[in-house]
This record gives sequence, structure tokens and C-alpha cells, in this order.
Amino acid sequence: MRLSTRVAALCVGLLASHHVAATELPQRWVSAGGALSEWVSALGGESKLVGVDTTSQHPEALKALPSIGYQRQLSAEGILSLRPQILVGTEEMGPPPILSQIRNAGVQVELFSAQPDLPALQSNLQHLGKLLGAEDRASKLFQSYQQQLDQQKVRVTKAQLSLPSPGVLVLIGHAGGKPLIAGKDTSADWLLQRAGGHNLATHTGYKPFSVESLISLDPQVLVFADRALSGEEARAALFKENPILSSTRAAKDGRVIQLDPTLLVGGLGPRLPDELKKLSDGFFPGTADQ
Amino acid sequence: MLRTQNLQIRRGRKTVLTDITLELKPGEVLGVLGPNGAGKSTLLGALCGELKADHGNIWLDEQELSHWTGALRAQRLAVLPQVSTLDFAFRVEEVVGMGRLPYQSGRVRDDEIVAAALNASDAGHLHGRSYLALSGGERQRIHLARVLAQLWPGEAGQTLLLDEPTSMLDPLHQHTTLQAVREFADRGAAVMVILHDLNLAARYCDRLLLLEGGRPVALDTPDQVLRPDRLQAVFGLEVLVQQHPERGHPLIIAR
Amino acid sequence: MTVLVKPRALFIGLSVLCLLAIWLSLALGPVSLPLLDTLRVALRMIGLPIAPDGLEQAELILGQIRLPRTLLGLAVGGVLALSGVAMQGLFRNPLADPGLVGVSSGAALGAAIAIVGGSAFGGLPEAFGPYLLSLCAFLGGLGVTALVYRLGRRNGQTNVATMLLAGIALTALAGSAVGLFTYLADDATLRTLAFWNLGSLNGASYSRLWPLLLISAGVALWLPRRAKALNALLLGESEAGHLGIDVERLKRELVFCTALGVGAAVAAAGMIGFVGLVVPHLVRLLAGPDHRVLLPASVLAGASLLLFADLVARLALAPAELPIGIVTAFIGAPFFLYLLLRGRA
Repeated sequence: MRLSTRVAALCVGLLASHHVAATELPQRWVSAGGALSEWVSALGGESKLVGVDTTSQHPEALKALPSIGYQRQLSAEGILSLRPQILVGTEEMGPPPILSQIRNAGVQVELFSAQPDLPALQSNLQHLGKLLGAEDRASKLFQSYQQQLDQQKVRVTKAQLSLPSPGVLVLIGHAGGKPLIAGKDTSADWLLQRAGGHNLATHTGYKPFSVESLISLDPQVLVFADRALSGEEARAALFKENPILSSTRAAKDGRVIQLDPTLLVGGLGPRLPDELKKLSDGFFPGTADQ
Repeated sequence: MLRTQNLQIRRGRKTVLTDITLELKPGEVLGVLGPNGAGKSTLLGALCGELKADHGNIWLDEQELSHWTGALRAQRLAVLPQVSTLDFAFRVEEVVGMGRLPYQSGRVRDDEIVAAALNASDAGHLHGRSYLALSGGERQRIHLARVLAQLWPGEAGQTLLLDEPTSMLDPLHQHTTLQAVREFADRGAAVMVILHDLNLAARYCDRLLLLEGGRPVALDTPDQVLRPDRLQAVFGLEVLVQQHPERGHPLIIAR
Repeated sequence: MTVLVKPRALFIGLSVLCLLAIWLSLALGPVSLPLLDTLRVALRMIGLPIAPDGLEQAELILGQIRLPRTLLGLAVGGVLALSGVAMQGLFRNPLADPGLVGVSSGAALGAAIAIVGGSAFGGLPEAFGPYLLSLCAFLGGLGVTALVYRLGRRNGQTNVATMLLAGIALTALAGSAVGLFTYLADDATLRTLAFWNLGSLNGASYSRLWPLLLISAGVALWLPRRAKALNALLLGESEAGHLGIDVERLKRELVFCTALGVGAAVAAAGMIGFVGLVVPHLVRLLAGPDHRVLLPASVLAGASLLLFADLVARLALAPAELPIGIVTAFIGAPFFLYLLLRGRA
């Protein structure tokens, strides 16, 4: 057989298999996990989503979809009533017997890692890409993500040459009240470290602090996330409920940065690099374009 | 027959009852009198097995009381306490019907007995009412009907212990109650009743036990026990004792 | 004079209600199944030879999801109501509830230890997770109740008033321990704990169901036999003793049945409050306090209430689910208030 025919046959074969694969791809998706839903949308699968969990708040359009509840307390029948072909979620999805009931009903159940590191993200994206028939897009997306994170790293390293890492505290509150402080082994800690900050809190997990401790730590930068409010409202509420914060260096210098709380759950999401940039801008003022 | 010998009860260091030797004879109503704190309720408590005796035993027939159990004991010994608390809206006949618990006499017979016991307590007209809707005196009569039903119709070998069954009753019902008790004894049961009213005791009891400070002061017929000097010594009350014009039993009048 | 519902009418009414609840629990749900399919699957399940074509989904939904859930609801509702009756008899007070002897708080403590402790050890093992949680809750409930009972005993006699105080104290202690675990928990564990505390019939499966079914059946068959004795106990412990009842033994049985039953229910379905307090009360308002009627009627009423509550829990926010403890409170409390205001108390 001549080379061109072989190539032609190969192409036809590839196209045919691709077409066959496409018709086997799941069309009705249910997603349990904020970051996953965002990646599905980023890979062009937003139109395939028929139901999402309560942590899936981005993009805005997802809020209009039927809600399957909290990702750890799913209802088998509820999900099945949406007639999905695939259920995607992190290992936090549950309760476990529900997942087997859904599998038994013939729905594909795919679990993804919620680990906040790049290898996990890469395998997640590859997997999602396969399921959506968008493998190319997935690897491109990962590459640009990696690039952005590398750039971020470079920028931070450079900035740290001329400026010291600021002491930072991350507060998670609800309408300003009763804020929890993010310590080690939290995604907030992961974020602020990648942004070049130095977490003044040494405990593990999210814990409340006494007001005295907050003042004695005297952070240079305050990062806060509010579960109930956003924007100026959240900022105002934070200082209204915790007036003592106004006496910190951070408040006096106006170095109070707001963080989107949905970034803190479910592993690495697509909006992360932008948020990191914003944090670094705040940690190392004047280094924005480096 | 319920009896005890040299019964003694202590509470901590204090001796609350001592030197009691007593036999509750079939067909007899024994009244227990005495000022407050004399040990009357303690005696009743010991005789029905609720209080443990520090000295002396209680016998029911040929066995120690503590060896009698469950339904067998309940068929021979019934106790009416001074106060009964029941916070649930049972019907009157259901409360009285609880007295039939130790028996397997069947629904029909139980209903008959309940009705008869209610009539004996002059509470027949309360049939069908809710217990919680009754007055204190009416409730007391219902509980009397219950213990009567427990031993109905009353015969030799059965003992009934009553702790102030007339405390909340009006004069008419004080008499009808004690009359019912009297009739029970007339059928052969042994009855011990704690009373405050000396005249009621004089009228309805065959023998009287007078207690003071935990000790028996007298155990005899009403004529012998109810004497002015004795009553003054025990109760601190000056009294005249006369004879009832129609019935002949002692009549105690405060001076 | 309060007009009561006659026992026969009450039992017929409650049985019909319960059957209706069972049917609705099987027939309704977020997935809408055609009525005919439901009927055909139901008939298949009881052994009739009906062709299975096109019934796969219905069989899965009914057989694997709704039927175990219905059974769980029946068992939990029945045993919680029954335990409520037992405790109201033990404490001779219509406001008593199984939680007074500490079984609920003990179960909550056991669950908290399993959830938080498990995550501290790197997460509960996948296969054992639910079993371990149930087991810890069950043991916690039994443990605290045993302690309360022990504290109430002196000289071979159980003092109910002391038990009550011990129950209150241990409940407070267990509560603060749970609070400590809550503090130590990370975000995700916290959510799991919170949801467990609200109760749910979600995820019912036959393998986890049978211990509860056995225990509930046992308790439901045993307690009604002590109905007359329970009636007499309401007169007072000494009065009941004089009527020939072994009061110490009866009290022991009541505490034991409650600990077993409520412990198993909480282990299987989390904390579902309110049923043990309200159902006996409602039945008493309708049919009087005689335990010969109250005990079996409470089983039927409790089971029905829980199944109806579960229907609301499943459908109100479908495809998500409401925790059932919220629904039982929402249904029970207003109805109870209404009855009280009407003056039937």
C-alpha cells in the first residue's frame, strides 16, 4: 500500500474512533465539588452539567442548576432523578453507600483527587479531558496553569529579594463575626505561602483566636474571606464585629485583602492563579508588573 | 395473719420505733393512734415490708414477710398509703382495676369487683370520670376502692393496712369509708388503720394501739385505751370521755 | 369529660395510616416512577411471577433505595416512640424522653469520637467507615446509660430521681466532650458531625439494617407484655410493689430496652429527636394512658410520623435532602401545640 493511502487510512481510522468515542462520552453530568465544576466549565462542559452541589458557585450560571445538596450528604434518588450519565466528585463525596447505589443504577461515578498539588491537578485534568472529549484543551489548560504558577513563583522569589515576606493572618468569618484563623495544613495556608507571605499562625486547621493573640501577633497584612457577604459589605462587617482589628499594622496601613472563600475547598481551581497574583500584589506592593 | 415481735426500727442513731409486739387478728380492726412523730407511719411501713426492721421480724402466716413475693403476697396484703400521686388521666375504673393486677380473674369478674369496690367507697357515681378531674377527697376514695378491689371481698387470711384514709374526706365520707373497712373486717380480713380522729377510732376499731415517741403506750379495747389521764399524758390535751348515747363507745370531748 | 378514641378505632386508624405511609414512602421520591411500575415491582417482590422487562430502574430504586429506607424509618420511628413511652413510665412524668437517661448524648459522643478520631487517623477505612460509626454510637449510648443506671443504684435499689440527675449531669458532660471534639475537628469533619447530629435515613442498606430491625422487633415484642405492670408503676413504686410487681426488675428492663433501642436507632440514623417525647403524648391525648393501648399504638404512630417526615425530607428540596430531625420538629411541635390549645390535655 502506498504511504499516502496508509496515512489516509490511519486518519480515517483515527477520526472514526474519535467519533465513536464521542458518541460514548457521557452527556449528562452531575458534579459534586466546586473546583471540579469550574474545571468542567473551563473545559467547555458547562452545557453538559445537569446538577451541581452547594460548593459549586462558579461560574454564575451554575447557581441556576438543580442543587444536589452538600457533597458529603448526597441523596442517591435525588441524583438519579436528574437522569445523569456520570457523577464526578472528589474523595470527599459521600456517604459511601450512596455512591454504590448510584453505580448500581448504571451511572458512571468518577472520583478525583482533592489534593492541592500540581501532579494531582494534572491527572484530574487529563481524566476530565478524556471524559469530555477535550484532551487537547485539557493539556493546554494545564500547561498554561503550570506556567502561571511558575511565573507566580518567579515573581515571588524576585520580590523577596528586595522586600521581606510580610507576616500574614488569614481570617475566615461569617458576616464578619467569629472569624477562624487559618493555620498549617489548610488550603488558605497553601495559598498564602505560594503568594510569598509568612503565616503567623502556627496551629493546625482553622481555629478561633483570642483578641489578645491577634493583637500580639500584629500581622502586616490581613487576608479575610467571608462566607456570607462579599465586597465592601464584608470588609465593613469584619471591622464592625472585630473593632480591635483596626489597631493592627495591617489595618492602619490599609493592607487588608479580600479572598474568595470558595477557593478554599475542593482542591486547585482555575481561578487560583489570578487570586495568587492579587495576594502577591498585596504582599509585595509595587512589584505588580515584574 | 400478719404479726411481729419486738420490732425495732432505727434511723441513724435515733430509735424511731421499739418494743412493738403485735398480731393483726382476722376479723379485727386495729386502730393506731398517737401524736405526730409517734411512729405510726413507720410502723405501717415496717409491717408492709417497705422499711427494714433493725430488730424483730414480720411474719405473714408461717413465713417471713420478705420471703413472700409478687402476686401471692399481693393477694394477701394490701396497703393504702397516705398520699398517692398519679399524674396521668386514667379513668376511675382503670385506677381501681389496677387492684386486680395480682389476679387472673378475667375481665367480667374484674369489672364486677371494680363496681362493687367503688360502691363500697361511695364512689360509684364517679365511674367513667377522669382521675385527674377529681378532688383530693374523691381521689382518696378511688384509691381505697383500689385496695378493696385488691382483696375483694375480704376474707380470713387477708390483711389491709391503711394510713389515714380519712384525712381529706368530709364528715359523711369519713364514716362511709370506715364503714366499708368495718364490713371488710366483718368478712374475715384483718385491718390496721392509722387515724387521727379519736372518735372515729373509738367507733370503728375493735382494738387500739396508742403510740408515743416510738413506744407502745397501750394496746387494748377503746374503752381501756381512751381514758382522760392517758390521753392527756400522750396528747397533752385535757378531755372528757363520755359514752356515745346510742352506740355506747367512748366519746372524746375536748375541755 | 374528655371524649377518647376507642382502642379499636385507634388501632384501625393507625394501621391504615401506617400502611399509607409505607405505600407513599415506596411510591414517591425524587425519581418519578410510573405507578404501574411500582405496583409490578411490589408484586414481584412478594413472589408473584411478573415479567421484569423495563423494570430495572424501578427495581433498583424500590428495592435498593426506597425499601431499605422505609424499613429503616419504620424501625427507627417505632423504637423511638416506644422508648419514649418507657421513659415516661419510668420517670412517671409525661414530659420524660429517652434522652434523660443519657443514651442520646452518649451516642452522640460515640459518633463524635468515631468521626473526629477517625479523621485524625487519616480517615475511616472505606469499607468499615459506616459500621465503625454505628458501632461507636451504639456503644456510646449503652455506655452512658449503664453509667447513669449504676449511679442511680444504692443498696440494690434504683432511685429514679437520682438517675434523672445523673442523666442530666452526664448529658452535659458528654455534650462538652462533643464540643471539644468539634473544636478539634477540621472543616470537613465538622460538617459530617453537624449533619449526623441532625439525623437522616439516607443511605439505608440491608446490611446495616438488620441489627436495628432485630433489636426493634425485640423491644416492640417485649415491652407490650409489661403493659399492666407499667400502668401500676404510674401509681408509684411502692404502690406497684404492693400490687405484686417486681419493681426493680421492671425499672431495669425499661432502662435496658431504651438503651438498646435508642442506641441502635441513633447508630443507624443519627440523632432524630422529638419522636420519643411527642408521639406517646399525642397517643395519650387521643386514647388515654393505658399502656395496653399506648405501647402498640405508639409503635404505629411513631413509624408513621417518621415515614411522613422522611417524605418531606426527601421531596422538599429535591434533588437535595433535608435532615430529618428538622422535619420531625417542624411537623410534631405545631401539631402538639394545637392539640394542647384545644384543651384536650
